[in-house]
Amino acid sequence: MRRWSNLLSLKLYESDVKPDWCPGCGDFGVLAALKNALATLQIPPERVQISSGIGCSSNLPGYIRTFGHHGLHGRPVPVATGIKMANPDMVVIVTAGDGDEYGIGFNHLVHAARRNHDIKVIVMNNEIYGLTTGQLSPTSEKGQRTKTSPDGSIIYPLNPLTTLLGAGATFVARGFSGDPKQLSSLIQEAIKHRGFALIDTLSPCVTWHDIYDKVRAKMYKLEGTAHDSSDLISAYRLALESDRIPLGLFYRTEDRPSFEELMSEDVTSTYPVDNARNLTAEQIASVMARFS
Amino acid sequence: MSTNHTRADLTLRLGAAAGDGIQSAGEIMMKTLSRSGAYVTTYNGNQSLIRGGHVWFHIHAGEIPVYSLGYGIDYLIALTQLAYDEHYGEVNSGGVVIYDSSQVKAHDFPNGVKSIDAPLVKIALKYDKRPIMKNTVALGLLGGLLGLKFDVIANTIGEQFAKKPDVRESNVAAAREGYTFAEQHAPETMKRIKFNYAVKRSIMHADYAVALGAVNAGCRFYAAYPMSPASPIVHWMTANARELGIRVFLGEDEIGVVNATIGASFAGARAMCATSGGGFSLMQEAIGQAAMTETPLVVVDVMRAGPSTGLPTKTSQGDLNMVLGISHDDFPRAIIAPRSPEDAYYLAGRAFNLAERYQIPVIILLDFAIGDGGYATIDELDFNTPIDRGKLVREVTKDMTNGVWFKRYSLTEDGVSPRALPGTSGAMYVAKTDEHDEWGHDLSDVEAGLKTAIHMREKQHVKRMSKLKGVASEMRPPELYGPDRADLTLVSWGSSALPIREAIPVLKSSGFSVNSLEFFDIFPLSADAHSMLAGASRLLNVEQNITAQFAKYLRRETGIEIKENLLKYNGEPIYPAEVVDAVKNALKHEEMEQLA
Ligand SMILES: Cc1ncc(C[n+]2csc(CCOP(=O)(O)OP(=O)(O)O)c2C)c(N)n1
Ligand code: SF4
Ligand SMILES: [Mg+2]
Repeated sequence: MRRWSNLLSLKLYESDVKPDWCPGCGDFGVLAALKNALATLQIPPERVQISSGIGCSSNLPGYIRTFGHHGLHGRPVPVATGIKMANPDMVVIVTAGDGDEYGIGFNHLVHAARRNHDIKVIVMNNEIYGLTTGQLSPTSEKGQRTKTSPDGSIIYPLNPLTTLLGAGATFVARGFSGDPKQLSSLIQEAIKHRGFALIDTLSPCVTWHDIYDKVRAKMYKLEGTAHDSSDLISAYRLALESDRIPLGLFYRTEDRPSFEELMSEDVTSTYPVDNARNLTAEQIASVMARFS
Repeated sequence: MSTNHTRADLTLRLGAAAGDGIQSAGEIMMKTLSRSGAYVTTYNGNQSLIRGGHVWFHIHAGEIPVYSLGYGIDYLIALTQLAYDEHYGEVNSGGVVIYDSSQVKAHDFPNGVKSIDAPLVKIALKYDKRPIMKNTVALGLLGGLLGLKFDVIANTIGEQFAKKPDVRESNVAAAREGYTFAEQHAPETMKRIKFNYAVKRSIMHADYAVALGAVNAGCRFYAAYPMSPASPIVHWMTANARELGIRVFLGEDEIGVVNATIGASFAGARAMCATSGGGFSLMQEAIGQAAMTETPLVVVDVMRAGPSTGLPTKTSQGDLNMVLGISHDDFPRAIIAPRSPEDAYYLAGRAFNLAERYQIPVIILLDFAIGDGGYATIDELDFNTPIDRGKLVREVTKDMTNGVWFKRYSLTEDGVSPRALPGTSGAMYVAKTDEHDEWGHDLSDVEAGLKTAIHMREKQHVKRMSKLKGVASEMRPPELYGPDRADLTLVSWGSSALPIREAIPVLKSSGFSVNSLEFFDIFPLSADAHSMLAGASRLLNVEQNITAQFAKYLRRETGIEIKENLLKYNGEPIYPAEVVDAVKNALKHEEMEQLA
């Protein structure tokens, strides 16, 4: 692989489309961190595939020059799964919102984690449905006032980290768009990880539910603490913390091979994208023998 | 039910409780017949349960090609009272009923029907503490009555139990006792066909055929969530995954399944998924997405009787309206409905070329009667399936890019734009499900409503829809079966063509002049369809739903109204005799009108 200077490669990811996000939206920080991570890892843009759903956050592909699939609300994970299975050479990333991933698309997320597909999911969690003008999301806090909870939400929020740890995710982290540097290194770690990765990224919506102050007041970084990211129980305990907001890598294990690794052993080393051809005479003879 | 026509064919029916091994016995008989040179079709009258209840397996075998279930029953094996009670009335005059009086109380034999009371259970108990081999004894007995070589039966049984040598031996021995019993107790005259052991015929049902056709056309990604009667496709794909290099994805639901298939196809694989009506309903939104992002997609719907979960193991052609209108707003699609397993093999291969050439969703409609439910003999298949990937570019030239993005949705005359795959150098683009410009940039946000965006929306919408012209030029007209000119022309789509083929010669022998138009390319309609319909002297539509969905579709597309219908919607397949009756009624009615 050719190596570029960091500056040059950042430029390689530069899109000519200006993000349509509100000034100050947390998603800008996520975009910057993602570009930085890809450039640092020196991954050529044509090898990167970003799959997203629908929401402000899901508009991200197109603001960065890689391959993109800007698909349906809640469905970027299965799309990414299909892409990775068909062409494991691609670095496959999902960028979507809390509504997209923890709400309508939650079933896919949990099962992709369980199967350990080699896809990296960055959820831009703003605890609200931004694009649809501010309704309750699965991560909205109890008591949170939104258009659909004018008196404050009566529902406890979903904890994405404990849920995904429970589902068997092999890489679970929390980032903050206000700290693109840490977020970039989490994204890099996720990409290097052999298997599924979730980075729940607090990415405030300045228009409908600004949580910058809350996050800044409660956050602390896991780097430099005694936390051992190979310890699942300790990861759980941290994920349950509510007085403070730990940021960083909660859990990582490479004890389990990825779905794609298992599939390559099980099926064939030829990827489906390179295999759009007729069966061989041998294969035909063997198959037809079973039909007679 | 009886019929006076003579054909070199036989109808066999095996009825029992689920778990009695009637399907396995039926499949062994079907294979034995195929290996004895006979043409075969079958129908699997199973239930949505694993044990108990009532299941039956029907075989129609002939020296000449057979298409559907034939007429009545020539040989009935009734292992349970329920099997006897349900089916004895359909046995033809001259037919034989085989039962065991220790299990079944025979009554009310129809005229001319012969019976064999055989100690099936007693024989079976010699080989196991429980009479589980009574199906095998019956199978051997049936083979004896038909005059099949015992070796061929024994070999087929042997294969079935290849992994369990002890069970194999006892099953072959049990079958031999049944066979010998038949030799000793056969009625003097029975309907028989000639066998030719030098000819071995292949047999498959449409679920397998569509899978084979797809894989031979280069499909190496298959996704599914189990749903009857589409499940045999995923079973076959999985069983063959290693040998043929297929990556199979068992998704968490059908929404995940179709989106993963779209992802694989977008990445450049030939990819397919299949389900039945309920799963297809869940796939709605994504099918529109594939059309919008211009990602080729092949989806199979093996229809079962609905609505809702309906009758999981019973047949129907009720999903046509759904697929014609699936997902919101207008987008191009193609719908094809194979008539038979053989058709399914060829049309699956063609579906991928259509999907890739036009970058559209292609929907294949099968039904239980030819899918999981019905095996049929297939001729030697042609495996040189052409693979046309359409406007796929492997290298990006200057005119295709602005230095940043690949012009994925360029406006072209035929509506199809060059497509590049992820991984291609300099071909970055975003597949967009929101409305977009030629570069794949959103028209839905900051540009929405601006004049340029309004014009571009119009152009992209027209571009997508204009693909239908090209697709239509590739769609084939209905195939004419029977004489060129006839007093009455039957119209059918998909598998309903098959019972019609068996009705036409019978009608002819009773002096009725009938032919049929078999539609299999459904949407868009071939341009010739109109003149072929208009040229008929009189039309009668045959299909398996309650509202004549296809006839209404034809009227919408061609202006031609078909006033007479044979509609069946009780979950059972159409029998040729029902077509015969419908035609006779229609034509007699006309005679009476003329007399009046
Ligand atoms: C099937 C479907 N239902 C509803 C919508 C409407 N919708 C668009 S975005 C969205 C929620 C977005 O919230 P989130 O995923 O958190 O993204 P954010 O805008 O907050 O970044 C909804 C409900 C849709 N596009 N599709
Ligand atoms: S509405 Fe909120 S989430 Fe959407 S762009 Fe504006 S600030 Fe960001
Ligand atoms: Mg949100």
